[in-house]
Amino acid sequence: MIAQTVLSLLLCSVLVYSWAEHKRASIVALASATAALAGLYFVWFPSHSTWAAELVGIGRGADLILYMWVCISLIILLNLHLKLRNQHELITALARTIALANTGSHSEERRLHTGPPPSTPVMDETDEPGRCAASADGHNSRRTPDEPFDFDRSGPAEIGGTCARASRVG
Amino acid sequence: MQNGSSTSVWVVCAAYNEEATIARVVASVRNARLNIVVVDDGSIDRTRDLAGTAGAAVVRHPINLGQGAALKTGIDYALSQGADILVTFDADGQHRVSDIPALLDALARERADFALGSRFLNHSPHVPIARRILLWGATLFTTITTGLRLTDTHNGLRAFTRQGAAALRLRQNRMAHASEILADIAASGRHYVEIPVTIDYTAYSLAKGQHGGDFVMILLDLFARRLHR
Repeated sequence: MIAQTVLSLLLCSVLVYSWAEHKRASIVALASATAALAGLYFVWFPSHSTWAAELVGIGRGADLILYMWVCISLIILLNLHLKLRNQHELITALARTIALANTGSHSEERRLHTGPPPSTPVMDETDEPGRCAASADGHNSRRTPDEPFDFDRSGPAEIGGTCARASRVG
Repeated sequence: MQNGSSTSVWVVCAAYNEEATIARVVASVRNARLNIVVVDDGSIDRTRDLAGTAGAAVVRHPINLGQGAALKTGIDYALSQGADILVTFDADGQHRVSDIPALLDALARERADFALGSRFLNHSPHVPIARRILLWGATLFTTITTGLRLTDTHNGLRAFTRQGAAALRLRQNRMAHASEILADIAASGRHYVEIPVTIDYTAYSLAKGQHGGDFVMILLDLFARRLHR
């Protein structure tokens, strides 16, 4: 009777856990709730567990309950893994926000240190990559209509004021 | 999407410890007069400095998150800069800038939102046998799970319209992002086209690329994604 009570309490806690998780991981919650309910049933009707164990090819009812407990543990482990993934997604969002914010703040900082806001520099199309030429309207004035692509509309050089400095972030 | 003179094209390049190739890649893109943002995914080498010196905008992740996360950051950045068309481009030098115009033309001509590069379309390139088997498995998986009829599902050279890029959620940080992009394309219902491109395999790019074990991890990642909101 003591064992039955203890096991029942544990399995009930699994049910509570399933209920708490059903909004975030419905499949995991359903699987663990099903296993817990089956476990409860067999704890209180052990003779049925022997019958069910024989039905699925397991020798004893106690073994069946043990296997079910292992299954519950694995399901909970899976859920913990999924929660870790969820945490990682949050970390990713945070890191992305920091990365983009640092890019913007660095740009602003450089503008403050270099005096008046510079005209948006763009790469001179005749120059080598990395070399920049300022353009008052932010467009490359030497672009011809037949060029395949438009060049910097705002330009990567917005970060930090010059192309070469664009990498100085973070 | 039109590829007119007012169209702003941004190349998005995710880079992690790519100091051997990043300067050359950025230079080739800049020579084509395209904007490029390099997302330095927490590199511990000179990737960030080399990319910036070569003329790229550089956004740096404070920690290493994975290629999928870096691409998403780059896409967000390019969209914030007013990009009309975004091109994803590998940092290991295996893609050719000369293939980009074909992708852009296809977007305009086919009125598509996604132009996906394919190394197998219209020609049979020399692809290492292990890589070919891996890609065949990925293609089969994509066809079954998304219904997209593609010949090359893990090609990093792609072009999106602004609307197409906004439809990509990209929550897979690591290699599974390529499959996730295709799933998002299928879910968006937007028009896509596949365009032949050339992949230049080198010992460096093969070492950096995916391996057999990665495919198992990709499957696990995709499976786990479906179990959890």
